[in-house]
Amino acid sequence: MAEFVQLLFNGLVAGSIFGMAALGISLVYSVLHLVNFAAGDFLTLGAFTTFYLATSQHLPFVLAVILSMVIGVIVSLILEFILWRRLRRSGAGMLALFLVASGIAFILRQSIALTFGSDSRRFDLDQLTTYEFLGAQIARLQLIVLLCASIAITGIALFIKKSNIGKDMRAYADNASLAAVSGINVDRVIIATWTISGAYGALAGVFQGTVQGQFTNGMGLDLLLAILAAVVLGTIGDAYGALIGGFVLGVVMDLSTWDALAGGIPSTYKPVVGFAVLVIVLLFKPEGIFGVRARKI
Amino acid sequence: MTAILQPGFWVFILTMSGIYGIFTLGLQVQYGVGGILNFGHVGMMALSSYTMAILVIAHGFNFWVAAASGVAVAALGGAFLGLTTLRLRGDYFSIVSIAFSEIVRYVIFNSDGLTGGAQGSLAIMPIGDAYPSYTDTWDTILYWIRDHLTPILGEIADRDMAMGILVWITFGILLFIVSRVERTSWARVLRATREDDDVPSALGKNVFRFRLQAVIIGSIIGGIAGIYWALQVSLLSPDDFLTIVTFYAWMILILSGATKVKGLAIAAIFFGFLYGGTRFFTFWPFSFFDASQRSYMRIMIIGIVLIVLMIRRPQGIFGKREEMVLE
Repeated sequence: MAEFVQLLFNGLVAGSIFGMAALGISLVYSVLHLVNFAAGDFLTLGAFTTFYLATSQHLPFVLAVILSMVIGVIVSLILEFILWRRLRRSGAGMLALFLVASGIAFILRQSIALTFGSDSRRFDLDQLTTYEFLGAQIARLQLIVLLCASIAITGIALFIKKSNIGKDMRAYADNASLAAVSGINVDRVIIATWTISGAYGALAGVFQGTVQGQFTNGMGLDLLLAILAAVVLGTIGDAYGALIGGFVLGVVMDLSTWDALAGGIPSTYKPVVGFAVLVIVLLFKPEGIFGVRARKI
Repeated sequence: MTAILQPGFWVFILTMSGIYGIFTLGLQVQYGVGGILNFGHVGMMALSSYTMAILVIAHGFNFWVAAASGVAVAALGGAFLGLTTLRLRGDYFSIVSIAFSEIVRYVIFNSDGLTGGAQGSLAIMPIGDAYPSYTDTWDTILYWIRDHLTPILGEIADRDMAMGILVWITFGILLFIVSRVERTSWARVLRATREDDDVPSALGKNVFRFRLQAVIIGSIIGGIAGIYWALQVSLLSPDDFLTIVTFYAWMILILSGATKVKGLAIAAIFFGFLYGGTRFFTFWPFSFFDASQRSYMRIMIIGIVLIVLMIRRPQGIFGKREEMVLE
């Protein structure tokens, strides 16, 4: 039982991080029809800028995190203005967008490697305090991450549901031309999308760096596949689906190592489990958990 | 700087270009003809090369049987990928295909007993006390070629040059075969499915089966590239099969103008120089960085080329714009 609680808790923490990152990818896809392969490296960027500001520049940790989110947003917006906008206007197809996103991923990752080297880093936080809950050891930092992530997730879910920009975003994702003729400010929608994606990517990166303890410049890339799996699981382009997909995947991946399940799977195979889940779901429901049956255009 | 003047360096670049060219040719069949966005192509290379290495080292198979088995396993990998996920929408398929290749790499990395794990093929348990090498048969051929080249070329002829020659002969043959295949009615149907599912379906063509065949053929070609890769590096490591390798192939494919076979060889050589040549960027402003930092910059430069290419010339050097914009 204690092990179950422990794994469930670990899974929820991982899932909240997957969900936050997946949300950004899904929103960007729904508005811009672009699978953002660089999203993983935005997580790394967030973790490293926070490390730099908090540890090297001795800023308060929370301030460093907020500044990192701002930097994530600025980088996302710069890319929008110099690349994505131009590509959209030239009518670039899915493949072109894929490849540009992967090019950005290479440049971003190598820039981080060039600046910070290949050593692993850690935040200067109290890694040791743990609480006992139903026999499970729960680290204080994990608990904080889960709480903050839950607040962030609830906040963004409400924002998309209730705010005017959120409604515009959903309208635009649903039918771009209809939204545009109805007087929705398309540029504002796109900027809001990149802002959410940039800020939440950086925040998810900080959370992941905190939970992992140590992180290198490959952190985001290692996580990207699980995040993409969460995106697809929750139906690509569906923001709420991405959040739920993230949690489902996080919990399933951690629970799969549970001893009571026929000895459990070695934890090194956790990512494989994530994909097995994805492939099985897609076999039965090719549009993802929340997808509507093929609407061909 | 003197390394640039060495013939060995040029031979190395050309050999790698040829292997990447073969690898990309597999993608060309899938995307250039069938419009299939496969981002897990490197997985096929991993499957064939590791299968071959394990069969030769751990089970004492004849090299040719092992190599053929490796290519067959790559074909099976393609069939598995296609059967499970090819019915998905294009963007779903591309994500799942990346996942496929990453899982292959992950399993190789973690199956120490079978594949040698992180230590690579050197840690595969050989039969008896033999050195864990799978290149013996191939080396015999290479030395035979070298010995016949020496009277003509003199001292320059060596094992690496023999390797380069064999790679390019294979590449040439495969290019010829594929360009022939692409003129068949099979390829015409496949090309029709790239634009639209409905018309070929209405004409009684099983779109799924054509696409599946394209994925399997591409995987076989990718598998052949994997065997050559294994022979060239002579020591496999799971790190040889990172997803980035698939992106190298995509870059070559886009450079050559995806729908045309003829540019592929030139694009592959261009990539080879970009990839191998950047390590000699020792002049200003690169002289500010040390060797490991310059290796980071190499991948950055490839990223920049990819982006500039997609913005300035998405149809590649030889391609037609109309054929690229339709996706």
